[in-house]
Amino acid sequence: MPTHDTPRDTSGTWPHRDTPEAREEDRAPGTGGSHRYTGPGSTRGVRGVRGARGSHGTSGPGGDAEPGRAGETGGPGEPERDLRTLATRAGKDAAHGLEQLTSGFGTAMMALVVLVTTVLTALACLVGIGLLFTPVTLRILHALAGRERDRLSRWGPEVIAPEPPPTRLRPALTDPTTRRELAWLVRHSTLGLLLGFLALLLMLFAVRDATFPLWWRLAPQDSSSTSLGFGVAHSWADALAVTLLAVGWIAIILGLVPGMARIQGKPGRRLLSAGPEADLSLRIAQLTATRAAALDAHATELRRIERSLHDGTQNRIVTVTVLLGAARRMVARDPAGAEELLERAQSAAEQALAELRTVARGILPPVLADRGLAGALNGLAASCPVPCRIDVEATQRCAASVEATAYFVVAEALTNIAKHSGARHAEVTVRTHEGRLRLRVTDDGHGGADEDGGSGLVGIRRRIAAHDGTLALASPRGGPTTLEVELPCGL
Amino acid sequence: MRIVIAEDDPLLREGLALLLRAESLDVVATAGTPDDALKAIDEHTPDVAILDVRMPPTHTDEGIVAAVEARRRHPDLAVLVLSAYVEQTFATELLTGGVRKLGYLLKERVGRVEEFLDALRRVAEGGTAIDPEVVAQLFTRSREDSRLERLSPREREVLALMAEGLGNTAIAERLVVTDGAVHKHIRSIFAKLDLSPADQVDRRVAAVLRYLDDVRRRG
Repeated sequence: MPTHDTPRDTSGTWPHRDTPEAREEDRAPGTGGSHRYTGPGSTRGVRGVRGARGSHGTSGPGGDAEPGRAGETGGPGEPERDLRTLATRAGKDAAHGLEQLTSGFGTAMMALVVLVTTVLTALACLVGIGLLFTPVTLRILHALAGRERDRLSRWGPEVIAPEPPPTRLRPALTDPTTRRELAWLVRHSTLGLLLGFLALLLMLFAVRDATFPLWWRLAPQDSSSTSLGFGVAHSWADALAVTLLAVGWIAIILGLVPGMARIQGKPGRRLLSAGPEADLSLRIAQLTATRAAALDAHATELRRIERSLHDGTQNRIVTVTVLLGAARRMVARDPAGAEELLERAQSAAEQALAELRTVARGILPPVLADRGLAGALNGLAASCPVPCRIDVEATQRCAASVEATAYFVVAEALTNIAKHSGARHAEVTVRTHEGRLRLRVTDDGHGGADEDGGSGLVGIRRRIAAHDGTLALASPRGGPTTLEVELPCGL
Repeated sequence: MRIVIAEDDPLLREGLALLLRAESLDVVATAGTPDDALKAIDEHTPDVAILDVRMPPTHTDEGIVAAVEARRRHPDLAVLVLSAYVEQTFATELLTGGVRKLGYLLKERVGRVEEFLDALRRVAEGGTAIDPEVVAQLFTRSREDSRLERLSPREREVLALMAEGLGNTAIAERLVVTDGAVHKHIRSIFAKLDLSPADQVDRRVAAVLRYLDDVRRRG
């Protein structure tokens, strides 16, 4: 069950980091990856996600073209906003770069250990004993390479693994994958380690110098005041000067770190991914499986549509023909009765039309196709009587039926909030992470929402189950109510 | 004629009842679920039960299951099944229990009131009413069946009308031929389908059944 003391700022409540695509989007012209909606009247940034999808998946250098591009975004009227977005982007890039370098430092340390082990095993092979340890060493190497692939995939385009390499010595000697992994091991345990270490050092320096005035009085006499190891502060002015040095460190971090992160990841991306000669049958098998799952969800969706057409709309139209048939038979004997039947037939036809509209809308709400999930949700929020904040950071595309489901979940949830919750404020957060769409709707109402209480939640749950997703509702008496939904993106 | 209607859509159920009552037929009960329908049939023992195929809980073949069960409990009950679409497995499932007092029609046929009432009467009087659409589909699917392949196009037409439940005179009228010609065709059909007069069965029914069985066997 989700916690109820969720802070209003949702940036920290999702247990994952932004994926690299998110960063790509942040950089894309005219968009922020995040769309915040604070009530009717504001439509800023609404159209972002769709437009930004064009840049999805590119791994090219993101930083170099930014200043020029950024100039195009706001137009001449908004230089201030331009500057601010530029600063935010640079900050985000640097923060992501630092995180990436630090995690890379971790694997680089392990790489160093494995490198030493490999060299020792190789030496031991000369006297024969090493042959016993070769399989273990190779297995450790493959495990580390796999871990690095996962890590790099988290920070950028997926690094596709080649076929699992052999662990016996003789085939391993000629195996291209093993050779490439060894080449990576050498680079990562040296260059990668160095870059990671530098990043840590830069961070340490920046923090030390920035906070220097807070603690310089406590530092031992005559110890050096700056991170560079020279100069001794004797006065408050000196101490504040050290803070200026921190500004320099931060500038270096902003300027260099994203590039360093790219360089650190490069050998892994090049050497650990499946080479052109690699057999991709495993990968194909995986893709086939996910594709089958997607088709399955699709079939379920079609079944749902078929049902609503046969059991709803068709029955309505049959009713029309039945009433018309009866009216025709009656028109001679009892014109008044026939008139009444015709009246009923007409209203049944009107109902059929209304149901047809509902079915069509249920297949794919037109607004979803026109404006994307973020735009469609903002539309829902605008028509919701309870002030509602929509926060969408959907970096991965989802199948249209999945986005439609997300849309209906929010539509139903907002309807319930408006009708029953007594809330003064609601909030909808949408994130995509590792092929899953996470959706969360919270309100500050009096809680006590009951799924069996005849709400439309039952239908929503069925729809989610059809997509192999999950739904969790937490609504203690006194509130708040939290609805959490997770769906596979299906792509 | 006493009738029980089972249809889960309330508006359509009401419309059907209205139509039949306007024709001064006696609708003794209506039901929205197969269980209620069986209860109503047990209670009122009507002459005819009109059942929708898709009913709760799963909206698949509840009506067919209910029809088979109702006929098991009340062998004398006439059953008219209304379907949203033609599904051969439904048709054969129903018809293999015997085609007497049985009807299987597409829902929209109800709007053609005269034909619908005609089918209803035919079923109530011990005959059969199979939707022309069902029959047409059975025929297209059975092309590869060697025995049916032996039939001439005219004979196939006659068999199709037999499957719809029409009598000889009605068939003759439809095809604009004499009763004698229809007789000749039917004898020829029986011969080609290896149905001898010595068999203790209604050969008309057997011909249609044989044919439906073939369809079912081949899945």
